[in-house]
Amino acid sequence: MSDSAIQIADLTVNYGRKVAVDQVSLSVTRGAVYALVGRNGAGKSSLVRCLLGQQKPEDGKVTLFGEDVWSRRSELMQRVGVVSEDADAPPEMSVAAIARFCARLYRKWDQESVEERLRMFGVPLNSRFGILSKGQKKQVSLALALANTPELLVLDDPTLGLDVVARKSLFEEVIGDLADRGTTVFITTHDLIGVETFADRVGMIENGKLVLDEEVDALKSRFRRIRFATDPAALDTTVMRPTVMRAWGGGAEAIVSNYDDIAFERIRSTSNIGAAEVQAMSLEEIFIAIAGGNQGRNE
Amino acid sequence: MRNALVIAAREFEEKRFVAYAAIAFAVLPFVILNLIPMSKGKSPAEAIVILAVILSSGFTVGLGVLTGASFIGDVSTGRMSFYFSRPLGAASIWFGKLLASIILIVGCFGIIATPARFLGGAWTGLWDITFTQLTVQILTAAIGSFLIAHVVGTFVRSRSPFIAVDFAATVVCGVAIWLLVMPLADGLAKSLVGWLLVALAAALIIAIIAGGLWQLERGRTDRRRGHLALSQFLWSVMAVALLIAAGFVSWVVSVAPSDLTRVIAWHAPGGQFLLLAGETRHRADYHAAFLIDVEDGSVRKIRGQSIREMRFSRDGNSAIAVSTAHGLSDLVVYKRGVAEPVETGLTLSPADPFFVSDDSSRIAVIGRGLLSVYDVAHKRSLLSVRVPGELKSYYRGSFVSPDLFRLYVASPNGVSVFELDLRTRGFQSTGAFGNTLGFTLNPGAQRMLVRQPGGSITLTDARTGAPIKVLSGGTAVFTARFLRDGRIAIVDEIPPKKPLLFATLGPRLHILSPEGVTQHDFQLEQSIGEASFVGDDGTRLVLRTATTGSRSPAEFRSRRLVALNLDRGVIERSEPGVFEWSIEVNADPRPPIQPLREVFYSDGAGRIVGWSPATGAKRVLTGGQEAKARREKIHHTS
Repeated sequence: MSDSAIQIADLTVNYGRKVAVDQVSLSVTRGAVYALVGRNGAGKSSLVRCLLGQQKPEDGKVTLFGEDVWSRRSELMQRVGVVSEDADAPPEMSVAAIARFCARLYRKWDQESVEERLRMFGVPLNSRFGILSKGQKKQVSLALALANTPELLVLDDPTLGLDVVARKSLFEEVIGDLADRGTTVFITTHDLIGVETFADRVGMIENGKLVLDEEVDALKSRFRRIRFATDPAALDTTVMRPTVMRAWGGGAEAIVSNYDDIAFERIRSTSNIGAAEVQAMSLEEIFIAIAGGNQGRNE
Repeated sequence: MRNALVIAAREFEEKRFVAYAAIAFAVLPFVILNLIPMSKGKSPAEAIVILAVILSSGFTVGLGVLTGASFIGDVSTGRMSFYFSRPLGAASIWFGKLLASIILIVGCFGIIATPARFLGGAWTGLWDITFTQLTVQILTAAIGSFLIAHVVGTFVRSRSPFIAVDFAATVVCGVAIWLLVMPLADGLAKSLVGWLLVALAAALIIAIIAGGLWQLERGRTDRRRGHLALSQFLWSVMAVALLIAAGFVSWVVSVAPSDLTRVIAWHAPGGQFLLLAGETRHRADYHAAFLIDVEDGSVRKIRGQSIREMRFSRDGNSAIAVSTAHGLSDLVVYKRGVAEPVETGLTLSPADPFFVSDDSSRIAVIGRGLLSVYDVAHKRSLLSVRVPGELKSYYRGSFVSPDLFRLYVASPNGVSVFELDLRTRGFQSTGAFGNTLGFTLNPGAQRMLVRQPGGSITLTDARTGAPIKVLSGGTAVFTARFLRDGRIAIVDEIPPKKPLLFATLGPRLHILSPEGVTQHDFQLEQSIGEASFVGDDGTRLVLRTATTGSRSPAEFRSRRLVALNLDRGVIERSEPGVFEWSIEVNADPRPPIQPLREVFYSDGAGRIVGWSPATGAKRVLTGGQEAKARREKIHHTS
């Protein structure tokens, strides 16, 4: 039995001449929560479609639980719950009818949990899916995705359209609970604050390339914002590599991607960099710093 | 399978409003009937039936197009990802949606057509077609529209440049089908063409259905990849189907004379050139025609479907086919030893008489009151003259030489003789003679035998029509002809007081000199009831004989060919077993140039057999079972 719930190797997706996903490789261990972040059009949805066996990549391979997802998609979907980016259920059908339809397709189906979650979300069962709000559609999709007690939950931008309360509920009550129960979660999102508390690993995709793939704790421990009271001209960039360096007040602000307490103290004691304040960074800040840095390099 | 049914049920549930619309359409004829007053004498039931048929066919075909086109729309709108993120195979999705669509189409037709179904009495008064036949036709059209709309929708919505390849493939398929159908249509194979088109349509349906599955399996939610998958599958299947069809058509058209079953044969006067035409074995209603050079055995297949008439030149070396299309006839000349036929470029109306010179180098045509002579090799008119206006009832003609054409024009007042001299470009009347039952010319066209209404034969000057000598010798003449050496052969009728079946003696054969002096007078045996000339080889005269004159079973049994020695009057050889005579085509009133080498007939097994009067040798040229069956039937009847 494979330790990886998801294994992506050299995945490449092209649309004509445009490379949407460029040789992406990543792995998600069973029970982990993986957050894939990226800007609009970065290639997240293409990657998710390949991950779910809905799209054949030009190159590379995706396996779920050690099995090739393209050829074994139908069987693997028994073990996977999916909340897609666009609410794709038939709009003419009532929520209850959609649930009944799905119930007939899965070997395991917990109808009570669906109804309970929908009650919790405040979505009426007899409503037509097409008239629900964007957020409600997402909630219905989530309720359905969880009804087969999936081993892997794939969430493609699940917070899109959700209000603050629903978003909080999604992250804290649902995904957090799933994570606690050992369900593997693969989530693409812009909401880094939401995933920060429970994501084990984070990946960042930009222009189709996976520019970051790291444990959240490790990532957060190596990124620091350092504010210098004066110009840190003496900062040894070979030891402390600033991702971003900009003026701040009378001094400067640097965001370093390889922060090390001991190394920084050694620099401070041996160099004339003056007063400096070291701050931890949130995932969102790191994401912005990396994206900004890459944009600068691309430009 | 279970999942396909689950999908079908879901799709059907989603589109149930279409069924409600169908119910409304079913009621519509009754509503319209109440709103619009009926014309006097019109039956309300008939009006309801007509409206129901119009609405049901329109609704059903329209529904087929819409559902087919919207099929791929589910991919475009991202709806297909709902299915593909479930544990559903592509086959379940495709066949589930397909099943739902077909049930919807059939169901809606059933709902709207119900009034027409239950007002069957009015139906029968309106149309020849039954309700079931119409149902099959409309549903076929609707489901066909559904499948085609799916393909077109896929191609268009993918917005892929590959659509240019699809367009090219469609054109290629269309051209290929046309090229496959034409040879069969040439062979009058109406049913075979129908089967071929049905088979190709079936291949197309299978290709679309299986291609749709392939499209979903390979493309899934990717429109372009789906388009590519469908295109590859569809055109591959159609290519294979067309290749198989091409192989089949090639096999059909590759018939040999031995494959002919219901054969009709025409042969040149000397027997050296033979046209066989008929149905073909194992090829349904495909007809084929062959020109066989009997001497060297070479066979050429010709387009026989449009040949209205086939003539042979007097020298027996050319066959002139009259092909008719769109009310006009074209003359094509096939020459022995020449592979390609000569298109004369001559177009004439079907009723226009034409005459061929001995070597087929020139053709005379009468049309629109003009007599024109054409040079075949140079495809040009040599001369045209106006034929006397009042004389247009019946024409016979003969090229006395390549530059001299003689025309016999029969009218109620008698026969007028004209000559057209191409060297002097003169057209003049040369003589006339009275009413006749028929006439033949001697080889040099100087004299002719004119058969008088009383049964006598008069030797006459062929150019002036002046009588030379009356040849009847006491009994009525049955038939008379010049032999190739200029002598005259006459066969008497059996006296009417002795009915054919009870006659103790056969007819008499008289051989006369070119001047009409009797040389031999032979009493033919009793078994020869009636005799007609086939030809002569200088030594023997070949007759077709039968004991009776009617096409009765007894007559069929008694048919035979006999070769009489011209000097001794005895039967040298006799060939029984003749079922049908082959047709000797010699439009020229003169005897053939070449001696008779072989006589052709159809035997009891339906085979065309060549018989040599000189040696008695027989050879089978083609075979078939049809005539055998007919013969057995005749025997059984008798």
